[in-house]
Amino acid sequence: MDFTSILGGIFEGLRVTGIVTLYGMLYAVPFALVFGVLQYFTRGTVQWMVTAVIEFWRSSPVLVLLFLLYYALPSFGVNLSSVTVGSMALGLNIGGYGSQSVRAALQALDRGQVEAGKALGLTRLDVLSLIELPQAFVAMTPTFINQFIQLVKGTALVSLISLTDMTFRAKEIAQLEYNPVGIYTALLFAYFIICYPATIIGRRIENWLSAGQRGNRDF
Amino acid sequence: MTFDLEFALSIVPTILSGLGTTLWIAVAACLGSAILGFIWEALRRSNRGLGYAMRFVIDFIRATPLLVQLYFLYFVLPHYGLTLPAIVVGVLGLSVYYSGYLAEVFKAGIDGIPTGQFEAAKAVGLTRLDAVLFVILPQMLRNIAAPMGNYFVSALKATPYLAVISVPEMFGLAMEVGSDTFRYAEPVIAVGIIFLVLAVSIAQLVRLLEARLMASAQR
Repeated sequence: MDFTSILGGIFEGLRVTGIVTLYGMLYAVPFALVFGVLQYFTRGTVQWMVTAVIEFWRSSPVLVLLFLLYYALPSFGVNLSSVTVGSMALGLNIGGYGSQSVRAALQALDRGQVEAGKALGLTRLDVLSLIELPQAFVAMTPTFINQFIQLVKGTALVSLISLTDMTFRAKEIAQLEYNPVGIYTALLFAYFIICYPATIIGRRIENWLSAGQRGNRDF
Repeated sequence: MTFDLEFALSIVPTILSGLGTTLWIAVAACLGSAILGFIWEALRRSNRGLGYAMRFVIDFIRATPLLVQLYFLYFVLPHYGLTLPAIVVGVLGLSVYYSGYLAEVFKAGIDGIPTGQFEAAKAVGLTRLDAVLFVILPQMLRNIAAPMGNYFVSALKATPYLAVISVPEMFGLAMEVGSDTFRYAEPVIAVGIIFLVLAVSIAQLVRLLEARLMASAQR
């Protein structure tokens, strides 16, 4: 097998890698938003509880989370498909990191923004959704793209719960013929081809944003 | 099958016997990645051609999954006659993976130092090496302490990856209990709690050290 046919074989797993990434985003984005905003808004015991949930998903090793959902949930009578387990563990882990970017971006906004919104007679919820969140989104876009890349890379782990993603395909090919150099080099490049464009886009946006901020300061 | 608390508690000592290995791996990986990351960043700054090459290397490391990098090292090195113990391959893999991130941390750390510092060092007649060691590095360390601490915690949380190349750290030992007893729920939950406690307390410790460092910088 030459390098291109190995790469072709590996990309047969792209569909699963893509599905887990997509479903992972469906867990990560809402979790990051809801818990980031909650942690920013709440105080005292409620905030402590919100933080505990975030810390559980963020501070546990992602491999442990994956196996926890895969092996431990069935013994409590919850049976989920491997795709669900994989995207949930990876998505909520990334969502935990994302919630911290949301909170940090909200906290970094000038207090005057909220005060001005209130002075205009907007409700607190309107201030959040119309003034604070749009600005926070712009500020956190580069971080968000980095976390997306982390998610794509994380999907390699679902090969361990026998989903046929790119990494799993590579291991299958490795069982058919002895060519570790070719196969694992191709696998590295397969992920690089997907993640590198995202890196470039992220960097562009970051430069563009920091240029905008410089303009503001001059003004 | 239901959760058996007594069994879960009975295997805690077995899992904790891998605590030393886990911590040792994390510390070694942190040192290794700092050294490699510093080399990458030094080379990136050395001259234009090498700079572009190193930028690609750093981006490549950051755009590929840790699991795939570990497989690569584990299966490809023996092909070239370099058979290392699994734990060495593991530490090497973690070091390479985080070196990409630490190179960026060093870059930000160096960029954060005002140009005047370099010029002043030159003006008082320090050699380039002396300037870096005695003027730039001490200031850089303060800039990079916080992100470095975070990556140390990340490396700690990534140690379970080494179980896939059969390194007997905590997660690997827990999985071994699982395959011996055909009960995975208890080992996974037990090792999960241990990792969570470990990660959260070390993160707190890092934050404390960071606060002290900042306080001493203000004096």
